[in-house]
Amino acid sequence: MNPSLKLLTVLLASLEISFTYNTAANLLIVVTASIYLISHRIRWRALMWLLVVPLIPAVGLFTTIYFFGAHQLATAVALFTRMYAYVFAGAAFTLTTSPLVLAHSLEQNCHLPSKFAYGTLAAFNMLPKIKTTILTIKNAAAMRGVTLSWWSPRLYFKAILVAITWSENLAQAMISHGFVEGQPRSTYSVVRVTASDIGWTIGLLVLLQAPIVWAGLH
Amino acid sequence: MAPIKIDHLTFQYDQQPPTLTDLTLTIPAGQLSLLVGPSGCGKSTLLKLMAGLYPTFGGQLLHGHVDVATDQQIGFMFQDPDQQFTLDTVRHELIFSLENLQVAPDEIDRRVQQALRFCHIEPLADRQFSTLSGGEKQKCALAIMIAMDSHIFLLDEPFASVDPQSRKQLLDQLAVLRDQYHKTIIITDHDLSGYDTLVDQIYQFNPQRQVRQLATEQRHTLLASYHQQAHVPVALPGATDHEVIHLQSLTLARGTRSLLTAADFSLYAHKLTLITGHNGIGKSTLFTALVRMFAYQGTITLDGTDIQAIRKKKYWQQIALVFQESAHQFIDITVAEELALSKQHRLTDYFSDQKIDQALTQLGLDGMDERVVYSLSEGQQKKLQILTMLIISPAILLLDEPLKGLDRQSINQVFQLLHESCQAQHQTAIIISHQLTDLATWVDYHVVFDQHHLQYAEVL
Repeated sequence: MNPSLKLLTVLLASLEISFTYNTAANLLIVVTASIYLISHRIRWRALMWLLVVPLIPAVGLFTTIYFFGAHQLATAVALFTRMYAYVFAGAAFTLTTSPLVLAHSLEQNCHLPSKFAYGTLAAFNMLPKIKTTILTIKNAAAMRGVTLSWWSPRLYFKAILVAITWSENLAQAMISHGFVEGQPRSTYSVVRVTASDIGWTIGLLVLLQAPIVWAGLH
Repeated sequence: MAPIKIDHLTFQYDQQPPTLTDLTLTIPAGQLSLLVGPSGCGKSTLLKLMAGLYPTFGGQLLHGHVDVATDQQIGFMFQDPDQQFTLDTVRHELIFSLENLQVAPDEIDRRVQQALRFCHIEPLADRQFSTLSGGEKQKCALAIMIAMDSHIFLLDEPFASVDPQSRKQLLDQLAVLRDQYHKTIIITDHDLSGYDTLVDQIYQFNPQRQVRQLATEQRHTLLASYHQQAHVPVALPGATDHEVIHLQSLTLARGTRSLLTAADFSLYAHKLTLITGHNGIGKSTLFTALVRMFAYQGTITLDGTDIQAIRKKKYWQQIALVFQESAHQFIDITVAEELALSKQHRLTDYFSDQKIDQALTQLGLDGMDERVVYSLSEGQQKKLQILTMLIISPAILLLDEPLKGLDRQSINQVFQLLHESCQAQHQTAIIISHQLTDLATWVDYHVVFDQHHLQYAEVL
């Protein structure tokens, strides 16, 4: 499916369920997302994780609402399943979309300025390095006798400083690789929006209305 | 092709004395030129001005101009191989660069293949940059410049984290680019070994930031002084040496790739030991394992005690790593604050105020007290970092590429300081370095890291 349309579908669906307390709609999203993930051959372990990780916040929400709030089982269940709907919808997008293809799609299909598309991509590629750098800064300070705790502002001041230097170096590197803001670029891999992409987007969103409308009628 | 003309150029960074003053220079086209001079003299600045990166990215052009023919594509290779790629793999980055130049898709395929083949890096095409060594990354950077059909190749200390073998391969390719494709190549470098048959012009910056073009005679003299005194004999550890760090059935691996297996290996106390080996072989990883920042299998002991049994904080007072990235080891803002912080945490009083002042002068860092550490040049940052670590005076110092970005004079001054401190306080120093010029004078032992093994060598 076209990455931009996939993102749109996930965002719209998530937005809609955040305004409704509809367990059936939530479950529909979880089931659809699961089918999609399985069709993309996601590992079973990853699927198990998706079930386990939201359990704590979901149970937290449930108990808060059911035992300490309105004591309405339907609302509590809706909130419990909504947590899973968010996680599965998000996973259906992130686990099946490469950031590069998304950037291409946003650039070509949504006409997002390429500066944002590639700037974000460069930042995304830097994330693992930022993580190791923070650890390095922490240990490097320790060897000078200074303990920087995980909540130390100094540590994050340093991390931000490093990120600023990197972003400037990256900007220089992008320019030296021929990137000019606002200048047209040729397209090596074309990301298309097919009729079936649009069909699926509309179809899935219409399907989601079914339980919501049905609940409204009863 | 037109030469690059620099005409009465004056350039300064914010609130600092001008980095370049009234500089006039003509760099011929189709030749390989070297810009040499002490760290912080303005070589990189000049290169970035030619590339048009400055003043866009900082500083002010107060006077004069740089003339580069506008129809000539300029390629730039940065000192830090890690910070020059936008995308994740070599192929993606090549395609990105060619898309920027609006090259048609089928032409992109052809150019990508050609560039990969020229640099002999076809097997690397779909590898993630994060899995490549410094030398491999610089080869990719060169491939991108070639794919972009650059006319002018600007290389800013490109070999700082590249092993000698990869360096030679890169230099050979640059020679081909000049000889067969008439490209203009301008390199800044501190280590002038291996340039004898390659270089056409040398421009020397002096500490007063004046630049002169060396005459043929002077050029030969300068290059000759860098001739590797190949295979200088180095002593092997003797029976009287006292072992300080011992590796017992140690295995280091990154993912599924094995880096090191050391059945039984010792490093000796009160000695200056140099570890050399190819890029990406695992030297830095060995250091991070020694300071317990990297998980390993087997046993590492310090004076007979398993290092895992020592509290980390206490352990790091005995053994400290001088990290490759100088900036990561700074904690405060100004030079004076960094020095004060080190004095506060020092373990011995060897570095008195007077001695620190002396060291600052020696390293050319005097009068910089109020400078923000991050505004110092790469080389100045390195020297300050080493000094702050020396002031703390742990019993064992691990130095990971401490000579990166340092000119020859600075290298000798850093070693002078390190040597004096080690002698006076019976410290142990273990050093990783690619840059070997002049090192034979200072090191006691030489360890070669090759094919997953560590071994003492009789030569350097």
